[in-house]
Amino acid sequence: MLTPFSTQRQSRIDTIQLAALLLLMVASVAFVYSATMSNESSVLLAWYRQVWFRQIVFFGLGLGAASVVCLIDYHAISRWAYVAYWGAILLLVAVLIPGIGSLRYGARRWIELGPFQFQPSEFAKLAFILAQAHFLSRPVDELRQVGIFWRSIGLMVLPFLLVMKEPDLGSALVLVPTGLGMLYAAGTPKRYLLQLGTVVGIFAGLFVADILFAPPKWQIKMESYQRKRLLVYFGRNYADFAQAGATVADRRSLQEEQFKDSYNVKQALIAVGSGGLLGKGWRKGQQNALGFLPQAGKHNDFIFSVIAEEKGFVGSVTVLTLYAVVLFSGIRIAGQARDRLGKLLAVGVVTLLFSHVFINIGMNIRIMPVTGVPLPLLSYGGSSVLVSLIAMGLLQNVYIYRKAY
Amino acid sequence: MANKLQTRRLLLMALLLGVAFAGLGYRLVDLQVLRHDDLRTEARKNTERGYQIPARRGDILDAKGNLLATSVFVKTVCADPALIGNRQGEVAHALAGLLELKESDLAQRLLPHTRLNERHETVTNHYVVLKRKVSVDTWQKVTNAMAQLTFADVNEKELTSKSQKAFYHDLRAKSIYTDPVDDQLRNYPSHSLAAHVLGYTGVTERTNGGMRVLETIGVDGMERTLDDKLRGVPGWRQTEVDRQQRELVALREEDVDPRDGLNAVLTIDAFLQHALEMSLADAMQHESPISVSGIILRPRTGEILALAVLPTFDPNNPGANEDARRDRVIADVHEPGSTFKIIVVSGALNDGLVTLNDQFDCEHGHFSFGGHILHDHASYGVLSTEGIITKSSNIGAAKIGIRMGETRLYEHMRDFGIGLHTGIPLPGEVAGFLHPVKAWKKVSIAQIPMGQGVATTSLQMAMAMCAIANKGVLMRPMLVDRLQDQKGEVVARYSPQTVRRVISEEAARQMVEALKTVATSDGTAPKAALDHYTVAGKTGTAQKPPYTSNKFYASFIGFFPADNPEVCIYLSMDEPKGNLHQGGQICAPVFKSLAEQVAAYLNIKPDKGDTGFPEFPITTVDQAPKTAAVRAP
Repeated sequence: MLTPFSTQRQSRIDTIQLAALLLLMVASVAFVYSATMSNESSVLLAWYRQVWFRQIVFFGLGLGAASVVCLIDYHAISRWAYVAYWGAILLLVAVLIPGIGSLRYGARRWIELGPFQFQPSEFAKLAFILAQAHFLSRPVDELRQVGIFWRSIGLMVLPFLLVMKEPDLGSALVLVPTGLGMLYAAGTPKRYLLQLGTVVGIFAGLFVADILFAPPKWQIKMESYQRKRLLVYFGRNYADFAQAGATVADRRSLQEEQFKDSYNVKQALIAVGSGGLLGKGWRKGQQNALGFLPQAGKHNDFIFSVIAEEKGFVGSVTVLTLYAVVLFSGIRIAGQARDRLGKLLAVGVVTLLFSHVFINIGMNIRIMPVTGVPLPLLSYGGSSVLVSLIAMGLLQNVYIYRKAY
Repeated sequence: MANKLQTRRLLLMALLLGVAFAGLGYRLVDLQVLRHDDLRTEARKNTERGYQIPARRGDILDAKGNLLATSVFVKTVCADPALIGNRQGEVAHALAGLLELKESDLAQRLLPHTRLNERHETVTNHYVVLKRKVSVDTWQKVTNAMAQLTFADVNEKELTSKSQKAFYHDLRAKSIYTDPVDDQLRNYPSHSLAAHVLGYTGVTERTNGGMRVLETIGVDGMERTLDDKLRGVPGWRQTEVDRQQRELVALREEDVDPRDGLNAVLTIDAFLQHALEMSLADAMQHESPISVSGIILRPRTGEILALAVLPTFDPNNPGANEDARRDRVIADVHEPGSTFKIIVVSGALNDGLVTLNDQFDCEHGHFSFGGHILHDHASYGVLSTEGIITKSSNIGAAKIGIRMGETRLYEHMRDFGIGLHTGIPLPGEVAGFLHPVKAWKKVSIAQIPMGQGVATTSLQMAMAMCAIANKGVLMRPMLVDRLQDQKGEVVARYSPQTVRRVISEEAARQMVEALKTVATSDGTAPKAALDHYTVAGKTGTAQKPPYTSNKFYASFIGFFPADNPEVCIYLSMDEPKGNLHQGGQICAPVFKSLAEQVAAYLNIKPDKGDTGFPEFPITTVDQAPKTAAVRAP
C-alpha cells in the first residue's frame, strides 16, 4: 500500500478518496435535511434559507476553496504557514474580546462579520497543521535538539490555551493528538515523545482525578457545564459534589439536573441502538423527529445518532467505512509524499480528521465525554465544512505533487 | 535509515487507526445488534403512550326513574405558574376558599419553579395539580373568581404596554385550567336515602400495562352486587407523543371508546323509601331503640319497595362507623318471638292437624313441659286456634307444636326459609340459626313455636309472612327491576322468582282469617287497624336472652288488604327504651301511619268502610299566568 505504484495511467488526484468525500457530503445533506425538517419552524422557512440548503452552499464554497488549494503547490502554500498561524492566533485572541467575539451558550467562539459568522478555532486547526508541518519539515538531525522539540510543543500549546479560554474544550483537545501525531511521524526521537507522553499522561490523570474526586475548594476553574459533562461521562453523582452545607433540596435539585444532563447522552444512545440492523428509514427516526435527540445539536454534533437511527448498523458502518477510506488513503498519500513537508501535512490532516471522527462518534455512542466536536463533512456548520474541505484539498495537493510525478 | 523509521511509524499509525475503527465498530455491533432489543424498547417507552379512558359508571334509579346514585364527571384543577407572575397572593386568596385549600399552601404551589434546559436556557414549569375531584359547579366558580380577579396596586385601564395587557388577560383566562381527561365521582343526590340498599363505592388503584389507573368499585349494597353491570368497560387509546408530551394524533394506533356502565332500575320507590325512613326516624326519636328496621314489600312478587335501617349513613361519605353501615335487616339475627307463631299454626292448618276452631287449654298462663314452665303474657283459659293467634298465646302455640311433632315442625320451618338465605341480591346476608332436630332439647318443641331457640333475620320473617299473604307461595325478595343502557333501552328485565309452595292455598286462606283478628280490639295490635283496609298481621315481643334482662325485640308484620294483599310491611325495634315494649304497642302505630301513606300513594282499593277511596290531598295546579305576551314579529 505504501509502495508507490507507477502505472501508465495514474490519476492526478486520488479519486477513491474523492468519491468517499462526495458520498459523505451527499449523506450530510440528506441527514441534515432529516434532522431539521421535523422542526415546524424550519419547515416554514423559504427553501433557500433552510439548513440543508445552506449546507449545500457551504459544500460548494468548500469545494471551490479546496480546488484553489489543489492548484497551488503545497510548497508555495507552506511559505505562508507562519503568516496563517499568527493570523489565526490573532483571531483567537480577538474572539475573546467582548464586542468582537459573540457570546452564545456561555462561550465566545464566533466572530460575526455582517450576516456571516465563523469560528476562528476551526481555522486555527488548519493554520496549526501548516505551521507545524513547516516547522518539523527541517532535517531529521535537527529534530534531536531539545530546543526544536519544545518549540514545536509551544506551537501547539499556544492555540490550545487560547481555544480553551473560549472555552471550547473539544476543539482544543483535537490539537493535541494532531500535534503529537506530526511529531511522531516527523521522526522525533522516541525518548522525547516518551517523556512528553509521561508528562501529558500525568497531567491528564491529575485533571480527571481533580474533577472526579477533589473537594470543591481544590477544583480547577472550569465552566460548570464542562465539569458536569465529564461527571456524566464517568457516571458520577452530582450530589456528591454539592457545596458543604447543601440542604436536601439542593441535593435533590442537583440530582434532577443530573438527570437532565445525562438525558441527551442517554437519548443519543437509545437512538443509535434502536436503529438496529437496517434502521427505521430516512426521516422516520422517532428519536430524531419527535425531539428526543437534543434539538440544538442533532444536525451538527449528534448527526451520527440520526444516521444510526434512521439507517441502522448498515448506515453507521457505511459512514465508518467512508471515513476509513478517506483516512487510510490519507496515510497512503503521506507514504507517497514527495518530501517530509508533504508527508507531515498529510499526517496532520489525517490525525486531525481522525480525532474529530473518533471524538464525535465516540460521544454519540457514549465511549467519549460530550465535547462540542463536529463530525467533519457530516455535521452542519460553515466553518467546519470549509476547513474540512480545505484540509482535504491540501491532502489532494500532496497527492498531486507526489514522488511519481 | 530515517526514511525507514518514518515509514515504520506511518505503518504504526495506520495500525492504530485500524484499531480505533475496530473499537468504534465493535461498539456499534454491541449497540445496534446485541443491545438493539433493549434500546428499541427504551425508544418506544419515549413515545408510546397508552391511555385508559374511563367508562362512566351507570346510575341507580328507583322504580319511578328517580336518581338514587349517579356518577358525575369532575375536574382536576391545575395551574400554570409561569402565567401567574408574582400574583400568587391574589390568586391564592381568590381560590383557597373555593378549593378548600390553605391559602399559604396554595400560594406556595403557584410559585414557578425554574430549571435549565439542554440549551442552558431557564424554563419554568407549566403544570401543577391544585385539586382533584372538583365538581363542575365549583370549577365554574373558580373560572368566575379568576375572571373577576382585581389587583389593588395596578390600574389596568391605564396600562398601555401590550405585553402587560396580555399578562393580565392570560392570568385571568389561562393560568388556572383543568386536565383534559375528566375524573369521575360517585354521587348520591339523596344522601342517606336507601343507603343500606345502595351501599357505597370505593376507589382502588390498579396498574394496567404499567399505567396507574384509579378505579371506582362497589364495596357494599347494590353497588357491589351490580358492580360488573354498573362499571362498564373502559376504552383505551394507544398513541405516540413527542418530547413535549404532545400527542401525535396521526400515529394513534388504537382508539377504542369506552362502553358506559348500565343503569340499574330498582324496585325501591323513593317516595315509599322516604316515608319509611321518616317513620323510622320518628320511632327512633320516641322509643330510643338501638336500631329500628322496616321493609315494605309486595307479597305477590317479592319486590322490595322500601328497605331501611336506622342508624344509617351517607354513602357519599360512608365514614368509619361500621355499625351504621351494617344492613341489620339481613345481617343481624334475633329470636323473632311471637311473629314466629305464624309458621307453626299455618303448618298445622296445612297438615290438617288443627282447624281454626279447635280448642286448646292454655293452662291459665302456666304450662309445665320438659322441665320448664312456659308462660303467657296474660292468663288464658281455653282458646281456639284462631284465638291463639289473636291473643298470641305461647302455651297454645307450644301445644300445637307438640301436636305437630319435631320432624314436621322442622320441615315447615325449612319450607318457610328459616335457616336459609332468602336470596336477596345484597351482600352480607346471613341464614340465621335453625338447629337440626337431633340437636333439640326436650323443651325445644314447645319453645320454638313461640319464637325462642331459633334465630332469624328480619327479612326472613317478612318473607315468611309474605308467603302466607301470597296464598302459600314463598317468593324470593327482589330489588332490581331491570337494567337499561344510556338511551333507556331495556337490556335485562328481572322477573319475580318463586322459591316454593310452603302451605296449601286453603291453609293460607285460613291463616289470613286468623291474622285478621290481630288488628282488632280483641287482638294484640288494635293500633294497627286501618280505617279503610282489613289488616292481617302478627305482633312479636321477644325478650332478649338472657331472659332475665328487661330487653326486648319488638316487631310487627302486617299486610293489607288482607284478602287481596298489595303490600306487606315489616317493622321492628331493637331494645326500645320507652315505657312500652310490645310490638302491638310501639310498632303497630308506626305500621298504621305508614300503611295509610303507602295505601294513598299506591292508590290501593279499600276493602272496608263507607268511602270509596281513602282521602288524600289532591292539589290542583293552576296554569301559570303568562308573565309577558309574546310580541308579534
